[in-house]
Amino acid sequence: MIETGYAQVLAAVLLAVLAIVLAKIKSIPVEKEIAFGTVRSFVQLVAVGYALEFIFSSRSFWLVMLSVGVMIMVGAHTAANRARHFRGGFIIAFVSMTAASLVTLGVMLALDIIRTEARYIIPLAGMIISNSMNASAVTFDRIGSDLKSNRLAVETALALGKTWRQASMRFYRDAVRAGMISILNFMKTVGIVALPGAMTGMILAGASPLEAVLIQVVVAYMLISAVTIASIIAGEMAVRRFFNAAEQFVAER
Amino acid sequence: MSPCQNTIVLETRQVGRRIIKNGGVIRTVEGVSYSFFKAHIYNLVGPSGAGKSSFLRLLNRLDEPSEGEVLYFGKPLASYPPTQLRKKVSMLFQSPYLFPGKVRDNLLYCCGDKSPEEIESLLIRVGLSPDFADKDAEDISGGERQRVAIARALSLEPEVLLLDEPTASLDPSSSQTIERLVLKLADELCLTTIIVTHNPDQARRLGGETILLVKGRLIESGQTETILTTPETELGMKYINKELI
Repeated sequence: MIETGYAQVLAAVLLAVLAIVLAKIKSIPVEKEIAFGTVRSFVQLVAVGYALEFIFSSRSFWLVMLSVGVMIMVGAHTAANRARHFRGGFIIAFVSMTAASLVTLGVMLALDIIRTEARYIIPLAGMIISNSMNASAVTFDRIGSDLKSNRLAVETALALGKTWRQASMRFYRDAVRAGMISILNFMKTVGIVALPGAMTGMILAGASPLEAVLIQVVVAYMLISAVTIASIIAGEMAVRRFFNAAEQFVAER
Repeated sequence: MSPCQNTIVLETRQVGRRIIKNGGVIRTVEGVSYSFFKAHIYNLVGPSGAGKSSFLRLLNRLDEPSEGEVLYFGKPLASYPPTQLRKKVSMLFQSPYLFPGKVRDNLLYCCGDKSPEEIESLLIRVGLSPDFADKDAEDISGGERQRVAIARALSLEPEVLLLDEPTASLDPSSSQTIERLVLKLADELCLTTIIVTHNPDQARRLGGETILLVKGRLIESGQTETILTTPETELGMKYINKELI
């Protein structure tokens, strides 16, 4: 394995420059974005690197929890932007992502798959949170647009004496499934279409492919569990926002 | 008049509804008081935006009044579980929604334990042949959809049928079929029927009582023929002269 230092990173900048040149030649107006993204990703990742070095060396459990908490807050804020059709998206995303993290990490800790060390918790929590964030965001988007565009179907069911849960059930199921589509597709194609990031990283860092594969399998199982939990909670809580205690559909017309 | 026609089924007392739209408050219904008797037919008429549909939605608690109250057999609607209330005060919309599947699936939607004979009798009651049950709900005409929707509502054995412009998107022949069906059901099943219509001729054919709403307010009410020929108010005159849009 070649040692990767700042010299190698500087050399790799050539690839970003190549992208800028190609964009310029083809008049695709993204040069500024590529340049900005190149600098930004470098600064962000280096900052994260230093932060992780600090957290890992401090060996403080509470610092690890604080880091995970901040990651969930930022993730929940991002997911809430997709809750265009109802209020309280942040709280719902926060609850769904926290539950997904606690359950999956808790099970992995209880089964002794990982230890309560920052080098396990933080990268895995990062994967759980980013995947739960996407799942919650897609669920939010789908439930809102489906319920609003199917107002007549929902109100017909209510008018026939059905509960809000019965009236919205198929839209809830579709939304939860939509939230899970990405991870389901990932599970189908993993290793065939692309090697996942965690596995690629391990192989690049010198681990044996078989060892990397086993870790990746654990990660995949962890993610399907986390995404299922996050989508179900996000869907359950979001759909409730469209109805009141009198079984009335309260979405704005 | 049969004895059952003396019973008040639904009653509104100074009922009103305000909604907030685009930052402003709109009063869709304002201070409407009225008593609806068993087995009677009521036409809700008025120009566009008069609050007819908004008023109708308050009667089975699909929407909540902002003021006043609605009583069902003398008790406030809120004292009944909404799901039970809506089985007795059933509402049909302008464009009936049929759930994906066969006509039979729609007729079983409310009460899954209906026997084939009961399904058959529901279809016959709305003037459709028994083999209609096997048709795909997607493949039937507008008039047939409306009749299936009525049959589906009847499967709940309601006391009141609320119809929101049920013939608005139908051709004249299908419209008159629905009108005859509404009259027949009111008579045979002692159903209280409250129908929103924008068509005074339809109200005349249905008879019963007519309530004229304008800008959410009850302007006139009484026997349909009287309201539509010799209204007492200026707005009533304007309505029958088609001066209200």
